[in-house]
Amino acid sequence: MAVIAAYNLTKQFKNFTAVDSINFEIDDSECFGFLGPNGAGKTTTMKMVYCISPRTLGSLTIYGMDPQTDASKIKSIIGVVPQDDNLDPELTVEENLIVYARFFGLSRKQYRARIDELTSFMELEKKLKSRIKELSGGMKRRLVLVRALLNNPRILILDEPTTGLDPQVRHLIWEKLRELKTSGVTMLLTTHYMEEASQLCDRLVIMDQGKILLMGNPHDLVEQHIPKHVVEFSLNGSCLNMGTIREKYDCMIETYGSRCYIYSNSDSVLANICKNAKIQHKIIRNATFEDLFLKLTGRGLNE
Amino acid sequence: MSAITAPGILRRISSIWLRHQKCYCKHLLANGFPPFVEPLLFLAAIGIGLGRHIDSVEGIKYSHFVASGLLASTAMFTATFELTYGTYIRMEFEKVYDAILSTPVGLTDAFVGEILWAGSKGVFFSTAVLLTISLFGMVYSPLCLIAPLVGGLTGIVYGALGLIVTSYVKDINNFNFYVTGCCTPMFFLSGIFIPIRELPVFLQKLSYWVPLTHSVSLIRGLILGKVSMAHAGNLVWLLICIPIVVFIAVARIRKRLIA
Repeated sequence: MAVIAAYNLTKQFKNFTAVDSINFEIDDSECFGFLGPNGAGKTTTMKMVYCISPRTLGSLTIYGMDPQTDASKIKSIIGVVPQDDNLDPELTVEENLIVYARFFGLSRKQYRARIDELTSFMELEKKLKSRIKELSGGMKRRLVLVRALLNNPRILILDEPTTGLDPQVRHLIWEKLRELKTSGVTMLLTTHYMEEASQLCDRLVIMDQGKILLMGNPHDLVEQHIPKHVVEFSLNGSCLNMGTIREKYDCMIETYGSRCYIYSNSDSVLANICKNAKIQHKIIRNATFEDLFLKLTGRGLNE
Repeated sequence: MSAITAPGILRRISSIWLRHQKCYCKHLLANGFPPFVEPLLFLAAIGIGLGRHIDSVEGIKYSHFVASGLLASTAMFTATFELTYGTYIRMEFEKVYDAILSTPVGLTDAFVGEILWAGSKGVFFSTAVLLTISLFGMVYSPLCLIAPLVGGLTGIVYGALGLIVTSYVKDINNFNFYVTGCCTPMFFLSGIFIPIRELPVFLQKLSYWVPLTHSVSLIRGLILGKVSMAHAGNLVWLLICIPIVVFIAVARIRKRLIA
């Protein structure tokens, strides 16, 4: 049974359609990603799931409940890590957690235990008495994650959980998220980091302009939708005829500004192209999820 | 799968109240200073200055007449500031409601809690003024002990009115129009300084529609120990006003926050 199911889910604001009739089903204990450029409708979709933005059309259920009639119940089993750290700046770390736990109706005994457990899980136990402004960006993010876990959520919503963090903190957060996943928490994740999506997501969707362009497992999608290898080089100063190359070698070519990408399933074909066209300063590498993402959403010319 | 239960409405509302209480009490000394000291300054100014030119008003010393009214005005101002500037800062700069609304607490819970907090500050501030003026022998009746509750009602009414204003305001500086343009005139029209019956007729009529007028009258009756049917009218007026302004305030803020 799908934990979250959306059919023809649509969100219209005054002048534009933020989410345009999308369909998805998210299974229990799955990590489901929403990717897309800014303004694609990812955050709006999340907000409809955690019941702070009413949908315009379509249907949306969370554990069979409708956000429009069962918001309090739904929100009691969801933990939210929003895009911006909206911690209470007037309160200390510990007070932030106590106040937030009370929003879920946790008793003193319950929240005491949860706060101890989770601050040590996220390695923040020494910071309990600190003020919010004394925390680094990484600590704030971990604190927001602790806060999101206070109610023992069955669904965790992560809106760009590691944006702006250093690699150490990012890897720590990924590690903790994997642990949570194995404990059975269903996760919804938005991110601009393709590596994050590949590392964490079982399935994901790529969105653009409110629509879902593609859905599936990130590794399968790369295999299905773009060739295995790519050569990347700068077009500056060269006068290559792309049309000829594409016809001759039967390969896919993309340009973004002065960068050129030639895709092929065979790396020897790519090596040949480079040799014959005298392309220097090139990189031949495996095609990644990011290549797929840019192919789908990029503004570059698709030749 | 165990049944999903959300906390009840009282628990949700009280959690908001407790959040505000926690923030307020972090700076208790600084936050508690004004209600105790402000009436002293007012009464000193009146006692030393104005009071020497006015013997008595409605049969009591002028400073005593004003003192009772200050319980109501302090409740009005604290509730107003809390739910105009305070709410705006929490909403736009601190994003506190974004966090609150992603928990089982709903918008109605959050803002009813907010208005009740304004009411509580009304109780606290008018209690502070009551304590201060009682030190100067300006309190005539044990009925005065009920007066802070009227301060609470005043806080609820003005908290809700402030929230209605906040729901329209796009820039924090625009609150000046409301505070100086509405609250200050209400302060002077409410009968704190000038008995209503001495106002020009059209201002008398206008003052009837100012909630503070009813609070001042009621509190003054309690403090002076002279309670009449007119005071029952004041109480009914306030009790009818509350659900109306609270309903409008919550509906308006919903329109602003939920897109």
